[in-house]
Amino acid sequence: METMNRKQKWASFGRSLLSSLVPVIAAFIIGGIIISLLGENPFTTYWILISKSLFTVKGFAYTLHKAAPLILTGLAIAVTFKANIFNMGVEGQLLIGGFFAGIAGASLTGTSPVVTKVICMAVGMGCGVLFALIPAVLKAYFRVNEMVVTLMLNYAMIKILEFLATGVFRDNGSGYVTTPTIQAGAMFRRLGGSKLTPFFFISLIVFLIMYFVMNRSVLGYEIRAIGLNPVFAEAASMKVRNKIIEIMVISGALSGLAGAGQMMSDQFKYTLTFSGTPGLGWDGMLVSLLGKHDPVGILIAAIFYSALKTGSDKINFYTNVPKEIIAVIQSLIILFLAVQFFDEKTNLFDSLKKKITGRDETTVKEEL
Amino acid sequence: MDLLQSILYDMVYHSTPIILCVIGGVFAYKANVLNIALEGMMLCGAFIVMLVDFLTGNLALAVGASILSVLLLGLIFSFFGITCKGNVIVVGLGINMLVSAIAGFVLKVMNSSNILINSLKVSDFKINIPVIENIPILGSLLSGHPLITYLSFLGIFLMWVLMYKTKFGIYVRVVGENEDAARSLGLKVSFYRYMAILIGAFCCALAGINLSLERLGLFTNDMTAGRGFVAIAAIYCGHGDPLVSAVYAIIFGLARSLSINLSIFAGPAAGLFDVIPYVLMTIVLTVVSIYRYKNIKIRGFRINE
Repeated sequence: METMNRKQKWASFGRSLLSSLVPVIAAFIIGGIIISLLGENPFTTYWILISKSLFTVKGFAYTLHKAAPLILTGLAIAVTFKANIFNMGVEGQLLIGGFFAGIAGASLTGTSPVVTKVICMAVGMGCGVLFALIPAVLKAYFRVNEMVVTLMLNYAMIKILEFLATGVFRDNGSGYVTTPTIQAGAMFRRLGGSKLTPFFFISLIVFLIMYFVMNRSVLGYEIRAIGLNPVFAEAASMKVRNKIIEIMVISGALSGLAGAGQMMSDQFKYTLTFSGTPGLGWDGMLVSLLGKHDPVGILIAAIFYSALKTGSDKINFYTNVPKEIIAVIQSLIILFLAVQFFDEKTNLFDSLKKKITGRDETTVKEEL
Repeated sequence: MDLLQSILYDMVYHSTPIILCVIGGVFAYKANVLNIALEGMMLCGAFIVMLVDFLTGNLALAVGASILSVLLLGLIFSFFGITCKGNVIVVGLGINMLVSAIAGFVLKVMNSSNILINSLKVSDFKINIPVIENIPILGSLLSGHPLITYLSFLGIFLMWVLMYKTKFGIYVRVVGENEDAARSLGLKVSFYRYMAILIGAFCCALAGINLSLERLGLFTNDMTAGRGFVAIAAIYCGHGDPLVSAVYAIIFGLARSLSINLSIFAGPAAGLFDVIPYVLMTIVLTVVSIYRYKNIKIRGFRINE
C-alpha cells in the first residue's frame, strides 16, 4: 500500500515536471527552426545561451541578480492566479513602484543608507499597493472584471509615468527622457566582483515568507479555496470580498517591491525602457505559469528564465541571431503552457492511448 | 466649427478599429470563450499587410495574406483553447505576446524600427462622397473615410442580424449559455466556438489593416496600444450585444478624439490627455457593472457571473 502511494507521488511529480518541460522543449525546437532559417546553427546558439549564463561564476551571479525581480513578480502573479483572480496589472504596479522608489531615492538626503533603502522600498511597495487597490475595490464591491481593468490601467499608468518623466520629474541635465539618478545611499552595492546585490537576498527572504503564506498558512488555504470555488468559500464563512482585497494588496506590494528593487539594484533611474520588453511583469507571468503557481517552482523558473534573458545578450555578441528570438521563444512557452498536456483531468496522452487501444486507462488500472 | 468638425471626424476615425474588434469579439463572448487575443490578432493583421505589401508591392495580395494569417492565428487560439481545453486567458496572452515578439524579431532582422512604404498615399484610400462632403457637420461625419471605416459601421448591423436573426447566431448563444443543453440538442459545440473565434479573427484582421495601411501607411510594433483590451471592455459593457457594444466603442472613439483635439489647448499637460480614454473606459465599465448588479440581492459573493 505504501509503495503504491510513493509510486503515485513520484508519478504526479514526474507529471508536473513533464508538463513544465515539454512546452519549454517544444518552444525551443520552434525557435531552433527559426534560427536555422536565418542560416545559423541553433545548437551553438543555444549552447552560448546556456553556457554563458549558467556555467560561469560571473554569468551565474548575473543571472541570479536578474532573477530577483522575476521571483517577486512571479509570486505576485501566482498569489492572485491561485485564487482565480487575474491580476494582469503586475507590470503597471511594478512601474509605479519603481518610478516613485526612484523619485524617493533621488530626493532623500541626510538619511543613513539603510534608512534610505528601507524608505525607498516602502515607497515602491506602497505605490504598488495603491495602484492594485483600484481593480481590487472595483472587483470586490462592484464586480467589475479585474482582468479588463488591469489590462487597460497598465496603458494608463505607462502614459502617466511617461508624462511625469518628461515633465515634472525630468532630469534636465540629461539628453534623453529620464528621471534623476538615485543617491548613492539608495543603491544596492554589488557584492565582490559580481553583479549580485543584496536585493537578491531580500527577494529570497520574501520568497520564504510567501512559501509559508501560500503553503502553510490559513490565508494560503483560503486563497486555494476561493480559487476552487468562491461560492463554497463564502458559504464556509470566508469573507471573499475582503480576501480579494487582501490578495490584491499582497500582489501589489510584491510588484511594487520588484519595481523598487529593479530601480535600486539595476537601473538607478526611470527611463522609458525601465522594465525592458516585454516587461518584468509579463516575464513574471511566464515564471509563474512555468512554476505551476507554486513558490518553489517559481524560484526555479525565475532563475531559468533569467538565464535565458542574460544569455540572450551574449547571443548578439557571438552570432548573428537577434536577441529578440528570446521573446519569440518566451511567448511560445506561454502558449504551450496554457494546455495541460499531462493533467490528470484532461490528459491528452491518456485520451490518445484510449483511442489507439480502444480501452479506458482507468479500467485497466482497476483490473490490476 | 472647425474644431467640432475635426472632433467628429476623429471620433469616427478612432472608433473604427475598436468597432471592428467589438463586433468580431461579441460572438466569442456569447459563445462563452473569453478572447483576449483580439489585441494580438489586430497587431498581426496590421503587421502582415504592411510586410507583404513592402516585400511584394501587391496590395490585394497583402490584404489577403493579412486576413489569412489572422485566421490562422484564430485557428491556433481555437485549437489550444477549445480542442486542447487550455486556459483561454493564458492562450490569448500567449498569442498577444507571440505576435508582438515575431513583429519585433522580423523588424530587427530587417534592421528597421518600422515598416514605411513611401509609394503608399494614405489620401488615396479616402472615399469622398459627392454632395454630402460639402454639408458642414454631416460631411466630416460621413465623408472622407477609408473603405474599412464604412465596412465597420455596416458591419455593426450585419453582425446584429447574424447574432439575433439567424440560426447560426442562436446556436452560438445556446452554446455559450448552456453547453450541456446545446450538446443534448446535437449541436457541435466546438464547431460553433471555432466559428465564433474565426469571425472575431476576420474582423480583427480588418481592424489591423485599417490601423496600419489605411490610416498611416506605416507599421510600428505594438501600435495597437491596448485597443483590443478596450474592445473587450466595450463588449463587457454592452453584454455582448453588437449594437450596444459598438456604442461603447464609439464612446471610446469620442474620448480619444476629444483628448487629441483638446490637448492643443492644454499646454504642458497635453501628455496626460492620452490617459483619458483608458480611465473613461474603466469608469464606464464600473458604472455599467453597478447598474447591472443593483437589483441582485443574493447573500455572498460570486466571482464569475
